[in-house]
Amino acid sequence: MILEIAVLVSGLGVLLIDLWTPADGKRALGYGAAAAVALILAYSFKLDATAAQFAFGQSYVLDGLALFFKRFFLLAAVVVLVMSVDFADRIQTGISEFYALVLFALAGMMFAASANDFTLLFVSLELITITFYVLNSFQRNQQRSLEAGVKYLILGALSSAFLVYGIALVYGTSGTFQFSELAGNITAVSQKPIFLLGMILIVAGLGFKIAAFPFQMWAPDVYQGSPAPATAFLAVGSKAAGFVLLLRLLFGVAPEIARHWKPLLIGISAVTILYGNLCAIPQRNLKRLLGYSSIANAGYLLLGIAAVSASGAAAILYYLSGYLFTTLAGFMVIAVALRQVEGEDVTALAGLGRRSPLLAAAMTLAMVSLAGVPPLAGFFGKFLLLKAAVQQGATQPAFYWLVAVAIFGVVVSFYYYFGVIRAIYWSNDASQAAPISIALPMRVALWFCIAGMFYLGLFPDAVLGFVEQAVKSLRV
Amino acid sequence: MHLTPVGLEHYLMVSAVLFCLGALGVIMRRNLIVMYMSLELMLNAANLALVAFSRFNNSLNGQVMVFFIITVAAAEVAVGLALIVALYRKRQTAHVEDLTSMKL
Repeated sequence: MILEIAVLVSGLGVLLIDLWTPADGKRALGYGAAAAVALILAYSFKLDATAAQFAFGQSYVLDGLALFFKRFFLLAAVVVLVMSVDFADRIQTGISEFYALVLFALAGMMFAASANDFTLLFVSLELITITFYVLNSFQRNQQRSLEAGVKYLILGALSSAFLVYGIALVYGTSGTFQFSELAGNITAVSQKPIFLLGMILIVAGLGFKIAAFPFQMWAPDVYQGSPAPATAFLAVGSKAAGFVLLLRLLFGVAPEIARHWKPLLIGISAVTILYGNLCAIPQRNLKRLLGYSSIANAGYLLLGIAAVSASGAAAILYYLSGYLFTTLAGFMVIAVALRQVEGEDVTALAGLGRRSPLLAAAMTLAMVSLAGVPPLAGFFGKFLLLKAAVQQGATQPAFYWLVAVAIFGVVVSFYYYFGVIRAIYWSNDASQAAPISIALPMRVALWFCIAGMFYLGLFPDAVLGFVEQAVKSLRV
Repeated sequence: MHLTPVGLEHYLMVSAVLFCLGALGVIMRRNLIVMYMSLELMLNAANLALVAFSRFNNSLNGQVMVFFIITVAAAEVAVGLALIVALYRKRQTAHVEDLTSMKL
């Protein structure tokens, strides 16, 4: 609880301090916010969650899984805030509000990590979604940004309507909102078709958050139109929040139903992988490309959900950790390198290898890691997910097909990821040749992400032990 | 004249009809404001179902949830309408067909 309160207080603090800050000093408030979040992250390592602790009549839980995701979100927010400071010159008004909204979205994500009750699940998800409506359309002088916001608004509100109706049906048939109570009589209520319909609607609402097929259509447009820091936070934080809630619901409350739904989950995972990878091929806009890539990554992560096993859950956590460093590095490069360029075309990266070796290296490593080449984080994460799926193949041969589809997706993805790398190093039509200067905090954040990618790829043991501990609080 | 007493299933039927009407509205209508109204209709369908379940299950939890939903929906409307107004100022339109600045 203390972590969320601290984040909320920092958010309100930013808004308050903004009143006494002269206009030219407002930008630096972001560094203060990042420092505050970093402090909260450091403090979180003093908390102990070996035994689950509850608050608000069991609607809030602090266990290994919650603590893991809280640290994950805090880490992402630090980098996103540093990125926002760098991005500030492209936001016309209200940069302090931008920082505050990032902090409020962060609080929503942290509450989502601890949700043990449908009420908290709904309120925290809405806190995330509504703040992202604003964050996505923050460059309101640009039509693209407004369009991204409106598209996210309509589809986001539609998904919350499904979610709420599903919650109503689940409540009506089970008589409770609480996850622990629901887990207690899950075998009795799972016979009722209305209950299952409610669960499907809730999973659909969460599927929107993670951009899984058939709720993925918002992702490319929103990724393309939103300001880069907002997109980065959306890609990492919002997706991970969807996955922690899916894990809580499907693995913590109703593993019996999840096992029953394996064929459905396998199908969704396969179609999501294929859709994301195949549609990414012709893309020329970098952010849109990463939007499709994020759909494909949601598909890979769904492999772990479909497996309904502890190793699947651990693989999801591991993959998300790698995804955090990789995606943030990618969006940081986009934010810095394409500063002067209108639009984010891949060709605008031409000559980046000469203009800024660090940016070029970071982007290359991010693409290589997303493609899943050893020894980077993405390789080991994909390996764990595929391993979890193969383990289930003995009981359900469909998993072998799913693994085949996933490997096909990886092979396809080489094409467009390496297209980006080609544009960086082997492109001759460089229109600009001036070296790019990078602010020191941004450089530190880039190095940090690169180090994270290598660390997770080369020394998986430490984090693997950590995530296996975290998923012990689930019932699979 | 004999009337059957209104039971849970009647409320649920109305709620399901409202939900489907709302969903149809979002899919069929092309005006952002009307789509947004349809979305609110869907949320209210869920509210009706929650209150009915709460009444017939003899527990107040469902009605508490409705208060949360109403509050969140109010926040959502405030942000959503502001966004639509900002878009209208920029484009002089509130039709989804005109939202085409981003394509492949």
